[in-house]
Amino acid sequence: MFPVLLAALLLLAGGGVARAENALEQVRERGELVIGTDATYPPFESKVGGRLEGFDIDLGNQIGKELGVKVRWVNSAWDGIFPALRTGKFDLVMSGVTITDERKQNLLFSRPYFLSGQTLARRRGDRRIGSADDLPGKIVCVQQETTGQTAAEKRGLPPESIRKFETLPEALLAVRNRQGDVAVGDLPALRDLIRKGYPELEVIGGVFVQENVGIVADPRSGDLIRGVDAALQRILDDGRYGRMYALWLGEPLPAADVARLNGLAAVGGGGVDSGSAFTIRWDLLQNALPLLLRGAVTTLYITGLTLLIGTPLGLLVALARLSGFRPLSTAAAFYVEVIRGTPLLLQIFVIYFVLPAVGISLPAFVAAVLALTLNAAAYIGEIFRAGIQSIDTGQMEAARALGMDYGAAMRWVILPQTVRRVLPPLTNEAVALLKDSSLVSVIALTELTRVGRELSTNSGSPITIYLAVAVLYLAMTLPLTYLVRRLEDRWQPISRPRAKAVAAKP
Amino acid sequence: MTTTTIPGSPTNGSGPPVLAIRDLHKSFGKLEVLKGISLEMREGQVSVLIGASGSGKSTLMRCVNRLETPTQGTVRFRDTEIGPANLTRVRREIGFVFQRFNLFPHLTALENVTLAPRCVLGAPAEQAEREARELLEQVHLSAKADNYPAELSGGQQQRVAIARALALRPALLMFDEPTSALDPELVGEVLEVMRDLAAEGRTMLIATHEMGFAREVASHVMFLHLGQILEEGPPDQIFESPREARTREFLARVLGP
Repeated sequence: MFPVLLAALLLLAGGGVARAENALEQVRERGELVIGTDATYPPFESKVGGRLEGFDIDLGNQIGKELGVKVRWVNSAWDGIFPALRTGKFDLVMSGVTITDERKQNLLFSRPYFLSGQTLARRRGDRRIGSADDLPGKIVCVQQETTGQTAAEKRGLPPESIRKFETLPEALLAVRNRQGDVAVGDLPALRDLIRKGYPELEVIGGVFVQENVGIVADPRSGDLIRGVDAALQRILDDGRYGRMYALWLGEPLPAADVARLNGLAAVGGGGVDSGSAFTIRWDLLQNALPLLLRGAVTTLYITGLTLLIGTPLGLLVALARLSGFRPLSTAAAFYVEVIRGTPLLLQIFVIYFVLPAVGISLPAFVAAVLALTLNAAAYIGEIFRAGIQSIDTGQMEAARALGMDYGAAMRWVILPQTVRRVLPPLTNEAVALLKDSSLVSVIALTELTRVGRELSTNSGSPITIYLAVAVLYLAMTLPLTYLVRRLEDRWQPISRPRAKAVAAKP
Repeated sequence: MTTTTIPGSPTNGSGPPVLAIRDLHKSFGKLEVLKGISLEMREGQVSVLIGASGSGKSTLMRCVNRLETPTQGTVRFRDTEIGPANLTRVRREIGFVFQRFNLFPHLTALENVTLAPRCVLGAPAEQAEREARELLEQVHLSAKADNYPAELSGGQQQRVAIARALALRPALLMFDEPTSALDPELVGEVLEVMRDLAAEGRTMLIATHEMGFAREVASHVMFLHLGQILEEGPPDQIFESPREARTREFLARVLGP
């Protein structure tokens, strides 16, 4: 199984990954510099009216001009952005990326181009939080795999008190909805987001971790980064930098910043080439496996709980749909259509982020199980309904003719046959559910897929992590399928005689 | 098995009234299938319904235990008028055998027979099983008690279905064309069981196309034509000297030249 998957993945990834040491030359030949960014991070980058804008966007375009090429921006989710860079989807990443030693192990940084720092955002007037010293014992919301997360972790907070979101706005939303106490993030980004959309929140306590922001390239793109550094120098020197700063940060460039940035020119670099991003690195698994297994347990737990509640609920939905009482059957049909007609992701968002607006604020785990259960119950309900309707009407008649009431006939005659018949589609649903449960990672639950994505961001070999994730999913779904096949075999008499029927009189 | 045997003639139908149907109508949409049926059955009587397919035999039987709801008319069982309120209770006293058996495929032959006594009457498992084995014995299927319906021939399935219908000790047995779905060579074994039941003096209402059998076991024969009882009487009279031209036509067709 493993080698087959591997070969398939390598084949899929094959096109255009051979990146030579002449990255700058290739960019010039192409006439186009491709820069990846996660446009949820004003004032550095955000999407306004369908266009990307922000400090990084202006700066990147100026760098392109200096290099004599056009810039094409690719808006990409933060937690896939470095694997995408490593696999040749972009030449550079500009996304307010803080330079850290950990990242320098697998990524190559330009010289710092912005001085930043981590700060806190709390609900306005929430006196429990005054500085970073107040973080212990609070629910801390961060954007996953950012230095905000690192800053929170370095404070020695227990992992379960750190809620990781895909974007910084979602982290702020969670604080506003009282699903968290405080958000940690870059000062400029927090200030900008709060000013534009979160009047209920405020920045508090000043910068507690100083940071340098840099431009990122693949470790084998040394010449490209040297070109970028030279371009940055010119943009800093001729005053363009200052004008951009004033435009996007809403205040003049502090006088000392240019000198400090020049002094920090050596902070960039890094990017020891640890081999292609497509190289399997078994050594990574030693550290990753325990984390992945914990994620798998969460996935199993969520899925199991959902099935446990969702299956009887689905049966009730089916019975309601089939009942002769019109309001009940109409309500059930409406429920099923609403659930089936909207994306699961949206349902998860609504339950976690929108219900708080009407005063129902659920913890992430409860929200996840609730959303998945409501979703599964609709699909399982349809499976049961089809199953019940597929039972010959003569069965109900025979039961009723024997004086059984509707309930007894259902309980003893119709449902036992239905269960056997719906087992295969029900298994499909369970397997689908197990995989769909990865969607709850958007509300900061660290299930298997989420753990895999987090690990792959900084691992230097995403393929190793993703293969391990795939194997773990298969390790959960295959036994399930096998188990059900065994059950079906055991119940075979219903569908196929064990022995050939004998027509003769006894 | 408790049986009610009328001394002298087991099929003379002279006991107290069991079933009384008055002016029964049944329409499916615009199609009127039953157009005012009235009949009476007494304890120990074996009544046979004959008539062409579509004449309303099945519908009439299904209206008795309300698998179909009559459009109009009354059905009295002993001294109760059957209606929604007493339906479940009355059905326990009316055994019904379907053309297509309708055995429960997820249960063995034995379990098919014990299910109703156990979950309707709350009979203890042991007692229900003992009685079920006696009933299977009676339909000559002791050896098949633990087989599933799919492992039985059509004739065997129908005999299990008869045992199942007998399990609640019904006062009336109804057979809706019980041999019509069977291969010809399997018809005999089912008729034999039914013949035994008639000989025991059970009250039976039978819809069938088996004219020889009808003539042999019936105490009363009714010819149904287009939703009405066109002619009725003792079997000898109906089969030997039918008064109605329609009856003669029908008999000529099913009995051959």
